[in-house]
Amino acid sequence: MRKKSGKRLYLAALLLFLSGVGYLVISGISENSVYFLNVSEALALPAEKLQAARLFGTVGEEGIARLENRPGVRFQLEDKENTSRTLWVEYEGPVPDTFKAGAEVIVEGRLEPQSSFRAQTLMTKCPSKYRKENRS
Amino acid sequence: MTIYAFASALIRCGFFFSCATALVILTELLLLEKTGREGPASPIGARLSTLLRYDAGRAVILFSAAVLTTASAILLLAFVTCDFVVEYVAQYSDLTLPLFYRITAFWAGQAGSMLFWALAVSLGGAAFAMSKTYRSLSLRTRQWFCLLFTSVMAFFHMLLSVWVNPFVLLDFTPADGMGLNPLLQDPGMIFHPPLLLLGYGGFALPACLALAQNLGTRTGIQAGGDEDKAVQAAIRPIVLVSWSLLSTGIILGAWWAYMELGWGGYWAWDPVENASLLPWFAATAYLHTSVIERRRGKLRRVNIFLLCLITVCAFFATYLVRSGVVQSLHAFGDSGIGAPLLAFALLFLFIAAVAPLACARNGETLDEVTSREGLLMMASWLLLAVGAIILIATLWPVILNGLRGISLYLPALLSAKIPQTPMGLEASFYNRTCLPLLALLSVLLLFCPGRVWKDKPGRVAFLHPRILYAVLALAGIGAICLWAAGIRHPVALLAAACSIAGIFGIILHFAAKPSRLAEKSFLAAHVTHLGLLMVILGVAFSGPYQQKYTLELGRGQVGAAGRYRVTVNELYEGESRIGADGRPGYRFLEAELLISSDKGARVGKLSPQRRFYAKFERQSYAEAATIFSPGEEIYAVLLGVDEESQTASLAVNVNPLVNWLWFGGALMCIFPLVLLRRRARLPDDIAQTARPPAE
Repeated sequence: MRKKSGKRLYLAALLLFLSGVGYLVISGISENSVYFLNVSEALALPAEKLQAARLFGTVGEEGIARLENRPGVRFQLEDKENTSRTLWVEYEGPVPDTFKAGAEVIVEGRLEPQSSFRAQTLMTKCPSKYRKENRS
Repeated sequence: MTIYAFASALIRCGFFFSCATALVILTELLLLEKTGREGPASPIGARLSTLLRYDAGRAVILFSAAVLTTASAILLLAFVTCDFVVEYVAQYSDLTLPLFYRITAFWAGQAGSMLFWALAVSLGGAAFAMSKTYRSLSLRTRQWFCLLFTSVMAFFHMLLSVWVNPFVLLDFTPADGMGLNPLLQDPGMIFHPPLLLLGYGGFALPACLALAQNLGTRTGIQAGGDEDKAVQAAIRPIVLVSWSLLSTGIILGAWWAYMELGWGGYWAWDPVENASLLPWFAATAYLHTSVIERRRGKLRRVNIFLLCLITVCAFFATYLVRSGVVQSLHAFGDSGIGAPLLAFALLFLFIAAVAPLACARNGETLDEVTSREGLLMMASWLLLAVGAIILIATLWPVILNGLRGISLYLPALLSAKIPQTPMGLEASFYNRTCLPLLALLSVLLLFCPGRVWKDKPGRVAFLHPRILYAVLALAGIGAICLWAAGIRHPVALLAAACSIAGIFGIILHFAAKPSRLAEKSFLAAHVTHLGLLMVILGVAFSGPYQQKYTLELGRGQVGAAGRYRVTVNELYEGESRIGADGRPGYRFLEAELLISSDKGARVGKLSPQRRFYAKFERQSYAEAATIFSPGEEIYAVLLGVDEESQTASLAVNVNPLVNWLWFGGALMCIFPLVLLRRRARLPDDIAQTARPPAE
């Protein structure tokens, strides 16, 4: 008899615990979801939808400019497959060491009305293979 | 035939022999199963039995270890002698690299790390196959062990000969290699990958052994029987050491990210970081449920499953990292290794889930939820839940993608909710889901140290009830004080108050009876928990209460970073040379910063650098500098120096209590090892602590 109630107590505790965890996860998913997009996918979406997005792409060769009087950079983000599709990104903050033309980067932020993407974070991928510099 | 072709051939031989042996043993076991008796059922069976009497499985395990050792030695030799005809050597080293880093370049890439992982697993297996424990096992258990272990080794050999062969040769010999990534030329990064791999690999042998014992004695393992004791005594130290190595690897990785990457944090919830946490949470949950089995003989089947789950997670983590299935900061080239890793992980998971079911139930149901068993159980639930959340969140883009693919077949209500564009979860998702659960762990730890195994009839028993009341009171008072001090983040407040009270609780338990310092199980468990509480405290403060500033300052100019003043004393340019012949290593820019408090008191001097490596001139690398402090640590990175105006741009962060994380982490990694020497005393220990089973 005692054992049975013990088992039920475990089940009750487990249910309580799982519902708590479930609540955390579901509320987290509904509030912390962001778009994970390539540049071409981002361009296909209307601007007002891109209020919170993480974009993946490569840094375009042309038009890289450091911001004046403050750390930051403005550059064109190219689609990895279709390099003709680009999006201007403006990022204010410390620029990572490995940022350069051709680097694969991830930016998080939102699309401004005048269609430049304002990034709060800029991360460069760290490749495990390093190519000799003069090759590229 | 070159020495490298020889190494490749050896690895292929290893694959062939492992496969063949596994098949032979499997046939033999199936024949045994069919006839139901030991001994040959047919002429083929007779021949097979003769083969097995010479313990072919063991011979192949030893052979495989010898093969991998030889192959590793050959690869190491290639690195030491700078033989760039080997593509792997050319890709990860060059002539200017110091010998130490040339040796460690062994595991800088995918093929080398796989070889290292396989080597670690095979050496562990070989050591076990030579041990007394192995010889004491029954024939069936030994056969099952050899079957499982040689299958694992066959898989490694297959990976190394098909997808990630480190001995691929170039058709010409380059004059120089491409050099090692400067980010990897750092002690933190040098030891992080191998420790992680040793941690991953270490759980394979215990998993095979536990499964083998389970499959070998299907009628139910005699808990406390000779074989059971021997197996448990063999598994435990391996698990403890592997857990320590895995934890050290993870903490070292976080520390490296903090000191070397220069982005100011230590954990970004990137898929690569998350991957290493999956086996860690499974392993930590296992450590807790296995205590219940060791002390009370319960939960055998759960433990076998969890032990296997660790290895499954290790393979799955490698799949996540290497296959490119999720977008990550780390771009490892996809070498086609993803699919086989996933297939192997799933197969192992299937065996791990099915095999324990074949084993007869033994052991009683657990004591009440509030008992010590209940506490251990809840800790495991929490740990597994965090692991599951991390798994789901990391795979969320993939899961959504899959759901979109089958949305036609789903009920309309559900399919309408699936977003049509790819979505994923940002880092704050992990903070809001995982951190509250980790804070709950600190709540459990308030009750843990004093909880005895068995209650007296009618009352809940604690070793020192007064200490418990004091600790609970302290948690309450601590929470009020922290609230008054401006800590308003609810999870941080709960975690900080409970970890402070928990740390005191553990110290009080040792103070109340100093002889406990000599009780190894008490010492190991509770100092490890002390370390965890320090980590929780460190995260609770350094996460939400980090202050970040960016400053542009010329020589002699003063900037403000919170309640600190930053003065640029000097800007330097220099060159570091390495080796006796003084080859240039890297050029650097350095800013010498003086930090003082806003009242003018001197706090210290910082010299962050920006480095330019000869082979990687187009990029520069930050070398962060910190003023060590148990309270607020000041952390500075030199972002760049403007040539014309001679102004430095700096990132200066104030990280409260961040060093508690590293110190607590070190305690967690070291103290489980205290338990290693308890093995010899185990039988007495059981006699002392075993009480009659619950009524």
